[in-house]
Amino acid sequence: MTALVEVAQARVVYGTGEASVEALKGVSLEVRKGEILMLMGPSGSGKTTLLQVAGALLSPTAGTVRLAGERIDGLTQEDLGRRRLRHFGFVFQHYNLFPALTAAENVAIALDLKGVPAARRRAAAHEALDRVGLGDRAAHFPSQLSGGQKQRVAIARALAGEPDAILADEPTAALDSASGKRVVDLLHDLAKAQGRAVVLVTHDPRIVEAADRIVHIEDGRIREAAEHPLPAEA
Amino acid sequence: MSLSPGLRDLLAWRNLAHDKVRFFVTLIGIVFSVTLMAVQTGLLTGFVTTISKIVDKTDADLWLVGRGVRSIDLPANIPERRRFQVLGVDGVAAADPFMHVFAQMKRPDGGAESVAVVGFDLATGRGGPWALAEGDIADLALPDAVVMDRLYKKKLGVERIGQTIEVNGRRARVVGFTDGIRTFTQSPHLFADIKTARYLTGYAEDRLNYVLIETARDADPQAVAARIRALLPDIDVYTKAEFSTRSSMYWLVTTGAGFSLVIASALGLIVGMVVTAQTLYATTMDRLPEYATLRAMGAPGSYLYGVILRQAAIAAVFGFGAGISIAAFIVHGARDGSAAILLPWQLAVGLGLATFAMCAAAAVISIRRVMAIDPVSVFK
Ligand SMILES: Nc1ncnc2c1ncn2[C@@H]1O[C@H](COP(=O)(O)OP(=O)(O)OP(=O)(O)O)[C@@H](O)[C@H]1O
Ligand SMILES: [Mg+2]
Repeated sequence: MTALVEVAQARVVYGTGEASVEALKGVSLEVRKGEILMLMGPSGSGKTTLLQVAGALLSPTAGTVRLAGERIDGLTQEDLGRRRLRHFGFVFQHYNLFPALTAAENVAIALDLKGVPAARRRAAAHEALDRVGLGDRAAHFPSQLSGGQKQRVAIARALAGEPDAILADEPTAALDSASGKRVVDLLHDLAKAQGRAVVLVTHDPRIVEAADRIVHIEDGRIREAAEHPLPAEA
Repeated sequence: MSLSPGLRDLLAWRNLAHDKVRFFVTLIGIVFSVTLMAVQTGLLTGFVTTISKIVDKTDADLWLVGRGVRSIDLPANIPERRRFQVLGVDGVAAADPFMHVFAQMKRPDGGAESVAVVGFDLATGRGGPWALAEGDIADLALPDAVVMDRLYKKKLGVERIGQTIEVNGRRARVVGFTDGIRTFTQSPHLFADIKTARYLTGYAEDRLNYVLIETARDADPQAVAARIRALLPDIDVYTKAEFSTRSSMYWLVTTGAGFSLVIASALGLIVGMVVTAQTLYATTMDRLPEYATLRAMGAPGSYLYGVILRQAAIAAVFGFGAGISIAAFIVHGARDGSAAILLPWQLAVGLGLATFAMCAAAAVISIRRVMAIDPVSVFK
C-alpha cells in the first residue's frame, strides 16, 4: 500500500509568546489508501489538530506534509482548498448540513463544488443517499431527520465526491450507541467496498473494532501505533 | 453564471427566503431607493426635456441669439437686419425669425395669467408647434390667431377653439390646441405667426429674438457658426445641441433644482445600499458556519461570494421590479401635472444597472467577512 498522506515531524504551535500552545510536538503519520485509521487520545492531546494537518486544512509550523506524493505544507488557503476538494471528504461531529437544503441538495453541493453538471448531480446525489440507506429521505430537510440520519447524509455528502479519504472528527460523539455503531459500520463498509481511506478521530471505545490501525496521541506526541487485524476478507 | 438555476442560486434563494422578515426589509430598502432615484432622475429628465423642448423640436442647425443669452426663455431683442446679414454668409441655406416673449394674459373670465408668446414664420413653419391635436395650423394666418396646449386649458380658462383672450391688452383668438407641449416656467406657450407675435407683445416690426438657421447640406455647422461670429460680433451663435444644453443648464443651476435632484437620487442610492448591506450582512453572519463548512470542504472563495452575490442579485431583481413599477405608477399619475416626470427606457435601464451595482457594493462587507473564514473553525 502506498501512502496517500505522509505527515513528517509536524509541529503545530498555536499563538505566540507566553500564551503559545504546542499542540503537536513532532508527529509523523501515514495514511494509506483503503485503510481505516483511528486517532485516539485524551482531550486536548492534539487529535483534531493532527486531522487538520493531514487533511490539508492547516499547514504545520514545522515539518512536512505530502499528499499523493506532493508537498502541500505552506500552500495558500485557496491551493489547499483545491487539494481538499480533489482528495478528501469531511464528516463533522455536528453534521454541518445546510439547513435550508434538502438531504439530496446537501449531497449535491459537494458535487457542484467539484463541477459535476446539474444533470448528473441529481442521480449521483440520490445514489449516494441510497448507499447510506436514506434513499427515501432525499426530499427531507435536516430538521426533519434524526441525528444518526443527519450524520449519514453527511457521509453521503463526503462520499459523493468520490474522495481518496474520508476524514471524520468524532462523527459518533453526538449519537447514541446504536446510531454511532451504524455510522461507523457504514464508514467501514463503504471504505472497504470502494477502497477509500478513513481517518477517524474518536473517544468511543465501542467502535475501535472497525479500525485497521489505531494511533494513540498524548500531549502532542504519538504514543504507539497498534495494528488492529481484521478478519481476512475473501 | 448559467441561466438555468444552479445549486448556488437555490442556496442563495433559500437563505433569503428563510428569514422572510429580513428579506422584506431588504426589499423595502431597495424599493424605497429605486423609487426615490427613479422619481428624482425622472424629474430631472423631465426638467431638462421640458426646458429645451422647443429648441430640440425646432428644425434649426444653428441658433443666432443676443449676446449673453443664457436660456431660450430669457431672450434678447435683436434687429432683424442680423437675419438678412446672416443670409449672405456662405453655408447658410435659410434663416428664419423667432420670438419667445413673456406676456400678461387675461382669461375669458377676467383672471390674469403669465404666458410665453412664441412667434415663428408661418410661411416656412420653422419653430412652429409640432403636436397639433385640434384645429388647423394654417388658421394662424388669421389675424390675432394663437395656438395653445391642451394641458393648460384649465389654467388659461380656455375650453374650445374660437374663444378669445387678451394678451397684453390686445385681443387674441385660440385657433388650435397642441397635445403635450409643456412649459417649464409655468407660463404656457402661445404659438403665433411672427407678425401676430409682434403685435401681441408690442415688438417693433424690425425686431426679433432669435434667428433660426438651416445650414447648407454640405456645410459644417461649426464652420458656418464661426463665419457668422466673425461677421457679427454683437451676437452669439450656438448649434442646436449647444443651445439646448445651455438652456437646460441655466435653469438647473440657477434654481438649484439640478443639484437637489441629484443629491436626492444619491441619497436614495446610499439609503438602499446601507439597508441592503445591513441585511445581507446579518444573513451572512447567520450562515457563517455553513460558509465555514463549504470552505473546509474545499470551496474556493469565488464559490462562497458567488452565493452572497446571488443573494444581492435576487434582492436587486425583486427590489428593482417593485420599485420601478411604483415609479411608473407615479410617472403615470403625474403626466398631466405641472412638472413632467419622464422615465424613458434608457433611464430605467440605467436605474436597473445602478440597483445591481448598489446591491453588489452592499455585498462587499459580507464578502470580506466570508473570505476571512478559517476553515478549521468548523471543528470548534
Ligand atoms: N486555535 C487554537 N488556538 C490555540 N490553541 C489551540 C487552538 N486549537 C487547539 N488548541 C490547543 O491545542 C491543543 C490540541 O487541541 P486539539 O483540538 O487538537 O485537541 P483534541 O485532541 O482534538 O481534543 P478534544 O478531544 O478535546 O477534541 C489543546 O491544548 C488546545 O487547547
Ligand atoms: Mg478534537
